[in-house]
Amino acid sequence: MATSRQCLAQLSRLCLSSPPPGTRFGPARLLSTTAACASRGSFVPKILSKKEKAGTVSKSQNPQKNKKKDAPQKKRKARTAYKTYDLKDAEMFSLCDAMRYIRAFEVGRSPTSVKYEMAIKLRSQKNGPVVRNRLRLPHPVRTDIRICVICPPDSKYAEQARAAGASLVGEEDIFEAVKDGRIEFDRCICQTDSLDKMNKAGLGRILGPRGLMPSTKLGTVVKDPAAVLKDMVGGAEYRERLGVVRMAIGQLGFTPEEMQRNVRAFIEAVKKDMAHLSDRINKELSEVVLSSTNAPGFPLNGEFISADSKITTRELSTS
Amino acid sequence: MVAVVRRMRKLRALLAIRLGPGAAILPPEVTRIHMDFAVDIHDGHHGPRKFWRNCLPRLKYHNPAVPMTVNRTINQTGPALMTVDFTSPKAAATIKPEISSTTDKQTSTGPVPESKAGPPTERTEVINMKHRHDSEILEQLLRLTKAKVVRPTAEEQREIQEMEEQNAKSERDANMMAKVNAKRKREEEILEQARGEVEAIQE
Repeated sequence: MATSRQCLAQLSRLCLSSPPPGTRFGPARLLSTTAACASRGSFVPKILSKKEKAGTVSKSQNPQKNKKKDAPQKKRKARTAYKTYDLKDAEMFSLCDAMRYIRAFEVGRSPTSVKYEMAIKLRSQKNGPVVRNRLRLPHPVRTDIRICVICPPDSKYAEQARAAGASLVGEEDIFEAVKDGRIEFDRCICQTDSLDKMNKAGLGRILGPRGLMPSTKLGTVVKDPAAVLKDMVGGAEYRERLGVVRMAIGQLGFTPEEMQRNVRAFIEAVKKDMAHLSDRINKELSEVVLSSTNAPGFPLNGEFISADSKITTRELSTS
Repeated sequence: MVAVVRRMRKLRALLAIRLGPGAAILPPEVTRIHMDFAVDIHDGHHGPRKFWRNCLPRLKYHNPAVPMTVNRTINQTGPALMTVDFTSPKAAATIKPEISSTTDKQTSTGPVPESKAGPPTERTEVINMKHRHDSEILEQLLRLTKAKVVRPTAEEQREIQEMEEQNAKSERDANMMAKVNAKRKREEEILEQARGEVEAIQE
């Protein structure tokens, strides 16, 4: 240690230099390594610190422990609800205004492949139940969903499913195709009779990560696939993630009236879902934001068209 | 989107859609604008692409009723043309703009409007965009259609000035903070080095 080195140096200097008379064979204290004592030479009482006088000095060498602690160290509390913002200063738009801007941002793009998207922000707890459901929009966004039905190939279920518009029906051939990697469908439902076979086939590895594995919890294992099929073809699924429910709500080529119907249906469905949750959970609508594939987000203020708007809805109905 | 303050800054970019090159109100005789050019920028297709990305959104914002379409091909050596359709002033005054919706009638449960054609085309003008700068293309289009350029209002001028001041202030702050951070980093590096040396000695 540096101080001990210094001490020894000082000590050696004291010893080598001629000692003052009467202290030739001075007390053993001179040989101590404490710099303070050595420098003082003759006996003086040790200077006591305030703590030593009070009698509360701790014996430990650890400086962290010697730090004054009046209360146990507080850990920063984690937030339990998702952050929401004050919307008083936010600029909000009517649906037609937002659509006018979005159509300008998306000019020249294909009117069927560019989609409007709506994000409903909720004021909610972080670890509570989530809003999750399926909805059939008045004007569906995607109409070409390919659905695969797993059921015994010769049963009447298979015929019904084919009539209802399933793209793939069967059992073993579907298992083989999936294991091969040829997944030519967007959704999959299973008939209760084929459930055991499907579980044995071990498709969970392949379909699980894609969200395609049929399960009773999601409602994709059913007795009558034809009815669910009809529901699915028009149905869009939405789910709350991190306090926000997002869903595609229209194509760029939709007219403002069609968008209005879709938006209303979506918001009402989410409100209904929130009301159905238990009474202890209080989820509330915080903000509604309309956006699209290449445009920024526009918070909506609930109006269809602003009172001082210079354009009509007809003008927004062109391609 | 995200936090309100960040979003408000982005939404001030809406000012950029309302104003700037291409912000012009077309007369009612213009019924359609169509652009054909290539996907990549080589061989003279850079100007048309810039026009599509910068000027066309502003035109579309101020003239939402005019259908504006873009068709991009892979053929780089092909032409780059802008087609503008005109109708007679009388027809423009009497016939309303077209209605076209991409909703699928069979799967919709709500009413789908019937597609209606807009005013009939009387003449068509073609602008060659190849190897031309987007400002040139815009100038020719404005002259051809006799469009009225949109100027910023007093309030918008104020907002623009505010934004510019804010940007200048941000730049100054960024430079200052860069210096402070650099100094702090240098000091930390020196300390790290010193600690490393002490450890080496102790070993």
